[in-house]
Amino acid sequence: MRRFNKKSVALASALTITAIIGAGCMGEAQPKSQQFTAAASSELNNHPTIDGGVYHPIMNGKTGPYYVNEDTLKGDFRIGREPTKNEIAAWDKDVMPDGTGLPEGEGSVEDGEEIYETKCVSCHGDFGSGGGGYPALSKGNAYDLQKTLTNQRTNPDADGPVRVFGSYWPQASTLFWYIRDAMPHTRSKTLTNDEVYALVAYILNINEMEIDGEEVDEEYVLTRDKFLKIKMPNEDGFEPKIQGEHALENVRTYYKNPKNFGAIKLKDPKERCMTNCQKQTAKVVYIQNGGISDFHPPLSSARTLPGEKAMPTNIAQTRYEENCAACHNLDAGMGAPEVGDKQAWANTLAKGLDKVYANGINGINVMPPKGGTTLSDKDFKAVVDYMIEKSK
Amino acid sequence: MSNKTSQDDNIELSQRRNFFKRTAALGATALAGTSLLASQKDDPAIMHHVPWGQKWGDPVTKNLYGVPSKYEHNVTRRYTKLLASGNYRASIAVTPIHELKGIITPNGLFFSRSHGGIAHVDPQEYRLMIHGLVEKPIVLTLDQLKRYPSVTRVHFIECPANGGQEWRAPQYNSLQFSKGFMSCAEWTGVYIKTILKDLGLKPEAKWMLSEGSDNSEMGRTIPIDKVLDDAMIVWAQNGEALRPEQGYPVRLLLPGWEGNLCVKWLKRLEFASEPWFCKEETSKYTALKPNGKAVQHFYANEVNSTVTSPSPEIPWTDLEDGQLVEIEGLAWSGMGTITGVDLSFDGGKTYVEAKLKGLVLPKAWTRWSYMHRYKKGERLLLTSRARDDAGYIQPTVDEETSVMGVESVYHRNAVETWEVTPEGKVNHVQVRTPGGVKNA
Repeated sequence: MRRFNKKSVALASALTITAIIGAGCMGEAQPKSQQFTAAASSELNNHPTIDGGVYHPIMNGKTGPYYVNEDTLKGDFRIGREPTKNEIAAWDKDVMPDGTGLPEGEGSVEDGEEIYETKCVSCHGDFGSGGGGYPALSKGNAYDLQKTLTNQRTNPDADGPVRVFGSYWPQASTLFWYIRDAMPHTRSKTLTNDEVYALVAYILNINEMEIDGEEVDEEYVLTRDKFLKIKMPNEDGFEPKIQGEHALENVRTYYKNPKNFGAIKLKDPKERCMTNCQKQTAKVVYIQNGGISDFHPPLSSARTLPGEKAMPTNIAQTRYEENCAACHNLDAGMGAPEVGDKQAWANTLAKGLDKVYANGINGINVMPPKGGTTLSDKDFKAVVDYMIEKSK
Repeated sequence: MSNKTSQDDNIELSQRRNFFKRTAALGATALAGTSLLASQKDDPAIMHHVPWGQKWGDPVTKNLYGVPSKYEHNVTRRYTKLLASGNYRASIAVTPIHELKGIITPNGLFFSRSHGGIAHVDPQEYRLMIHGLVEKPIVLTLDQLKRYPSVTRVHFIECPANGGQEWRAPQYNSLQFSKGFMSCAEWTGVYIKTILKDLGLKPEAKWMLSEGSDNSEMGRTIPIDKVLDDAMIVWAQNGEALRPEQGYPVRLLLPGWEGNLCVKWLKRLEFASEPWFCKEETSKYTALKPNGKAVQHFYANEVNSTVTSPSPEIPWTDLEDGQLVEIEGLAWSGMGTITGVDLSFDGGKTYVEAKLKGLVLPKAWTRWSYMHRYKKGERLLLTSRARDDAGYIQPTVDEETSVMGVESVYHRNAVETWEVTPEGKVNHVQVRTPGGVKNA
């Protein structure tokens, strides 16, 4: 057993010294890195792991069961190059809570709603209500809903906690960063900074939030300065604390206590329960109402070859169902022409069949090229034909 | 319990009997068998030439990258619409662990999770940038990255939502879906601390942002402790390049920690003194407790185990009365090495100790086994319980939910139970107090 004990602290200390000597051999190249090695390692000596687990130092040429060539750990590889300032700027696009990385710009709730209706509503639903498997962005007043976080669905009628941006997220910086990097999901990194500000303003509005005591109403115009004053209702709802000077120490201390995260730790494995280990009240609980059994492909461990029946009767139909139905099925409500809606398809086809094919192949609005499939043009057109046929 | 002990004794005893006696006994059985078999038909699979024995097989020129036997077509990843959004671009396909042997998952069956679809990165255009609080930022091509001295390690990767749909009650009558949000492979790459040796990490660096180049620009925040311990940048999986589903050409590997932290299609590492708040560090990948506080930065997957044979998918309906059968399972811990597994036949009331088998490695799948003399018509509640060298042991469902409630989604590692029915069918059940228990 290699648990954290005084012996491993001593070993880690010895390693620190080796590390400093090792760095010293490299001459004057990186004085600050030596400094760091000493500081970081001494911290690690007192706290061998941050997650409550076992630490495996490299000793006697091994780490745990693995041999290590310790000559590989000495550095001075002379590989790679320094990135240019422009290269770093091109990739360093993250946004931090203190405003690091947050660009100048502005956007109004009104503009945000317009962009939302064009580019977001098909997945996230009216007023961010969610749909089609995509997350909801709002369920109403953020301050009221934050209070639902203690809800537990321990009986069938109970309401669960509401975990949307307004009621749950710790920081607003995440929203700006994620929208700019990853939204819309089918065409990410296409929004301007002003458009992102507008969408953030709209999402604050539908979450009925305030900035600096002022309601984010339909007239509101969000700027960088105002953004930095957003205080999330559930900012203090998370543990361990990860910000500030003592953050790492907080985290280490937190995971030293198994009670914080529902774990059980024994001093000696002999202490473990071998008889009467369940509460008297514990019963055998079965899967209710068949549970979840929507598995694809269906469960089977058979080693027989699939027969003719297993082959799809209509390949275009299968491809439609796998790739297109989520948005195009009747009553999908995603804004796309729905299969079976004669009027919608008549309007679409008024553009001419070639235009319909081209729009589908190149993508239109939030629909990605070929609906995100890897079908050939010919196969894709066959799916479109199927959809038209079913909408006559 | 007494029943189990006597079974153990029987097995031990039979092993101690001398070889002659055992051979004699087997001979008698065989003779009895012969008279019975006289009236049975001969097996055509034995009596006839088989088609593949009388003609040429495939030339070696076929399938230059090998594929499984066509008869194994049901051994695949599987998905459910419940766990899909974005038209299966923010979704998961899970591993058929009921069909796996040993501790290595074949690359084509390794579970696949992405947040913006599976990216196909051109290795010629691949770049890795490391910057922020370092003396010397660096940019590397793929070839340059692979010139660093490599290390090879066997580690599991587990989605922290493995079993996460079953906090309130069992939902999946399937091992693949109950526990298949994980896989285990041999990974090759470089320790990040090896690269940092030349970059000069500044003393105020406390956090590392790891960011992918995929459509979701997947990012997560890592504490420096892990970076300087066993964090790796990996480019190979079971001896070959990573599969696209695993982040080809390069992913982060944080042994034992949430799969989500092991960012795929890795593009950028930045060091800072304060943490980032990434999209997957919000309502996702945080575990909400009944007091309304959520555990964030919930790194390691805790000690866990499951019975893999029997399973709902491959039950005991074929067993004969009196047959000696191996009960087998997996155990794993993101906090250390598995030290032992106990097995219960009554849903976790009483336990006997199972045996570990094969390689037992830190933060890796570990196989365990127990020999059982099957009685036709018996009903069993099979529950396994693992422990690790950090001192952790799996909690009961009641123990875990008394602290974490039923809304945590992530990091569920309470013991799991299979009911074996008198017909030998296997059902997923849980042994727990209806309505839950309050924290003491």
